[in-house]
Amino acid sequence: MSSAAKNAYLNTRVAAKATQLIGLKNVKQLSQMSPHELCQHIGLGDLLDEPGSVRSKSRAVEQGLIQVLLADLAVLVRPMSPEERGLVLAWARKYALFNLKTLLRGKIRQLDQQEIRENLYDLPPQVRLSNEDLFRTESAVELLRVLESGPLSLLARQAREIYEKRQEAFALEAAIDQRYYSELARRVTRLGDPKADRQMRSLIGSLVDRANILWLLRFRFAYGLPPSETFYQLVPSPNLMYRQRLLDLVSLENQAQVIAGLPEPLRSLLADADNLMESQRRLSQYCYGIARDVLRHGHSGVARAMAYLILREIDLQLTFTLIQSRLLNLPAAYVDLALGLSPAICAHNWPDAA
Amino acid sequence: MIRSPGSARAGDHSVLQSKAMKHVRLLVLGEDLPQASLTLAETESFHPDSRAPEEQRLAPLVDSRYQNEYQKARTRLDKIAQVIPVPEPDLSEIRVVHLDELTEVNAWLGSAWEFCLEHQEGFRELDENARLLEEQQAALANFAELNVDLGALRADKRFLDLHVGVVPRENVSRLEGALGLTGHLLLKYMEREGNAHVVIVGPSEDGQSELRSLLSSAGFTAIPLPQGLDDSPETIQDDQRRERDRIERERADLHEEVETCAKEMHAKLVRASTVLALAEPFVSLDPAIRGVGYLASIDGWVPAKALPDLERRLDASLQNPFSLESRKPREDERPLVPTVPVRNRLLQPFAMLVKQYGIPRYGEIDPTLLFTITFLLMFGTMFGDVGHGAVLGLLAWLFRKKLGRFYIFGVLAGLSSIFFGVLFGSVFGYKELLPAVWMSPLYNPILMLQLALGWGVLFLSLACVLTIYNRFAIREPMAAIFGPHGVVNLIFYLGLVWGAVSLAMTGAFGAIPAGLVIAALGALAAYNWGHMQAPIGEKILVVLIETLETVLGYLSNTLSFLRVAAFSINHVALMIAVLTLAGMMGTVGSILMIIFGNIFVMVLEAVIVTIQVMRLQYFEGFSRYFSADGREFTPLRLRRKPRAA
Repeated sequence: MSSAAKNAYLNTRVAAKATQLIGLKNVKQLSQMSPHELCQHIGLGDLLDEPGSVRSKSRAVEQGLIQVLLADLAVLVRPMSPEERGLVLAWARKYALFNLKTLLRGKIRQLDQQEIRENLYDLPPQVRLSNEDLFRTESAVELLRVLESGPLSLLARQAREIYEKRQEAFALEAAIDQRYYSELARRVTRLGDPKADRQMRSLIGSLVDRANILWLLRFRFAYGLPPSETFYQLVPSPNLMYRQRLLDLVSLENQAQVIAGLPEPLRSLLADADNLMESQRRLSQYCYGIARDVLRHGHSGVARAMAYLILREIDLQLTFTLIQSRLLNLPAAYVDLALGLSPAICAHNWPDAA
Repeated sequence: MIRSPGSARAGDHSVLQSKAMKHVRLLVLGEDLPQASLTLAETESFHPDSRAPEEQRLAPLVDSRYQNEYQKARTRLDKIAQVIPVPEPDLSEIRVVHLDELTEVNAWLGSAWEFCLEHQEGFRELDENARLLEEQQAALANFAELNVDLGALRADKRFLDLHVGVVPRENVSRLEGALGLTGHLLLKYMEREGNAHVVIVGPSEDGQSELRSLLSSAGFTAIPLPQGLDDSPETIQDDQRRERDRIERERADLHEEVETCAKEMHAKLVRASTVLALAEPFVSLDPAIRGVGYLASIDGWVPAKALPDLERRLDASLQNPFSLESRKPREDERPLVPTVPVRNRLLQPFAMLVKQYGIPRYGEIDPTLLFTITFLLMFGTMFGDVGHGAVLGLLAWLFRKKLGRFYIFGVLAGLSSIFFGVLFGSVFGYKELLPAVWMSPLYNPILMLQLALGWGVLFLSLACVLTIYNRFAIREPMAAIFGPHGVVNLIFYLGLVWGAVSLAMTGAFGAIPAGLVIAALGALAAYNWGHMQAPIGEKILVVLIETLETVLGYLSNTLSFLRVAAFSINHVALMIAVLTLAGMMGTVGSILMIIFGNIFVMVLEAVIVTIQVMRLQYFEGFSRYFSADGREFTPLRLRRKPRAA
């Protein structure tokens, strides 16, 4: 398939699929639906009719929603070039990393195998790790040793060395997250098509920027890490939070200075955010806005496909939040907080909000 | 010795017809479950049925301790097998394994795995030391070109903090930036494989813990600088050689230690392997076991002929009374009934190729024998040469150990080539060496093409007959008559062929064949019309297109068989080209041309002809009469060999 034909094909598929997006604005309409109707709406059928506890139902819905997203992904990556497909699959590999973290936590805390298995996502071969081999291990170090013989060898080796030296899960998981975003940033700079490259930089860059800002605020001011180590945990972004900017920001003394030092539009966006949860909510909406913009006005089929997948993922997360809140009978105020429809507040203030 | 009656008897049934199966339900007391599982595994004729039973009172077993212990122990044994050889289980005595014994074996396997893990880590540590030594050598070789006092690098410095080491290449940039924030400088002086060699320099002040933490996060490994850096290069090289020898000695010692321990553990490993082999049937059977109170029920499928033997064995082995109910499969269960695969040794490789497409549904004709015959006929026709066939067969025979059972495929294909080579009179392309029993394909290509078309008609008609039989066998009479490749389709096709032959011979299609074709198409159109729920316009369009598709489909499918003749002619033509080129060269060139030309033709044609025949089989044959959605009969059995590492 020629480049123009691929683009036309992808754009058509994305346009067709984009009609099913819900969006933050319409999420209120969905909240009127019952959990069963929500399941039907998203294509999960009568999943909630199966007997089981709230936890197992919630888990089945979450698994089903991931399958819906990855089924879309499988269709969209088909006509892409190897570099483009590699980037989109690298984005989706976060689900495999969720599984890896679950396995690691389970092994560190020596949980029962069945309990660990129940918390793993069932993923398609394109994005999954060889779970069975990993599952057979009996400790975190053994698990990482097994992982070293696979495609994540570099990540695993470093994670194991860090874990052996520091024996803490935080360093291990930070290394995994850091590698994930580094891989995205690295792959986006390798795209050959300049049009796709510009839009993908903005799209993937917004995700990396969001992670960088949150990590910077959390590591530097919540965990009290020194500037050097905070910088080391960050990922130079292909968009706004590039290397020199990160170097300048980590040296600042407090959160207000950091926010004042951010580039526009991030500075205005976070100017009056009074807690990390609120910053996270606003940054997610910022990423959402960029993805929506690329989907509506972008020309590159690959960038639009990526934008669609990001928006679809947000939709599915919102749907899951709604279904779970119904299963747990949560008050409407909590649901609005969880959906990001009202400004985030600290957890200890939630009873007041309700 | 343990008898395997299931596998022995599997050859009893016709190679075309799937073996009659019965659904059985075994009711035993809970305490007899492990023994019942073992007996069922011994007979190798029980395929578990894990469907939830219709009786609401029967529930899955709640106590999963046995299964958990087994899974843990099996995982450990499989992992141990990757480090030391695990012996085969000793199944001279078949006995029940109780939970206590399984738990004990699992605990021992846990300690054995810890031992293996320790030694694996030992080997890894030695590998790491060897790697560091190499890095050190490379670093010193690099420093040798600098005019600096290397001895000073080792000495403690009051105001200067200095580190020499390696760091993963992709971390260098971030580490450099982070070090800048602590007032340190990073100098990268060399890259080897995935690592960068770096020197880190900075003020020797406080903040050392921050630096250490940072270096640890970045995966920095310090390279130990040897004593006496101001010695001669020969002395340093001697030191390094000694260090390398020490690592190799330690590695050999470790190997010896592992081997000694493996010998010491042999008896216990045999026991563990045996216990797990004996416990496995009960665990494998778990999804098919349901229970209520003290009673347990096991559902499954058994070949009808194996049922009396199964009952007799259960009777002999179970201490308490039991009940074995059996019944014929219900119509709605037909897709779930497993099909016993063909066991004939000669047909095994062909059965593997059939399995690539799918498993025959219960009751359907097993296409393996038909596939074998038609495959060999078409392969020989397209690749008929005594010499090439002999080479192919001989190679398959010589490499029989590597090819496993698949060597029979090569030998039979070679023999088929030889047979057709004798008919065509071709030995490595030479016509003079062996007079043709029949004729060379190139002498009368038109006749070859006509025969290929005739073969196509026969093949497609046979495929339709099998389709019709299979549909009747699975109780779908309407589909057998009106469905794709059913009776009406066959009448249409034979009418079309009759008319075409008549047209070629007399110049007229003929009234009877025309009547058959029109009547059959009319019946198909009427059937499709009656079965469609759509607006009238859409109905007309769909029926017209489907009728046209039937006509074109049979026409193109028949023409597809022309390739059989085309490849037989192609083979002769290619060999003529090789021999003509050889004739244009000198003696040496001619010999080389004949040798390499024959190799080229053999490799090229053997591959292409195989692909073409498979294509005809899969698309013109299997896609018509073979639903391929059956389930393979995989009976419960004892594992006699350890799992491959």
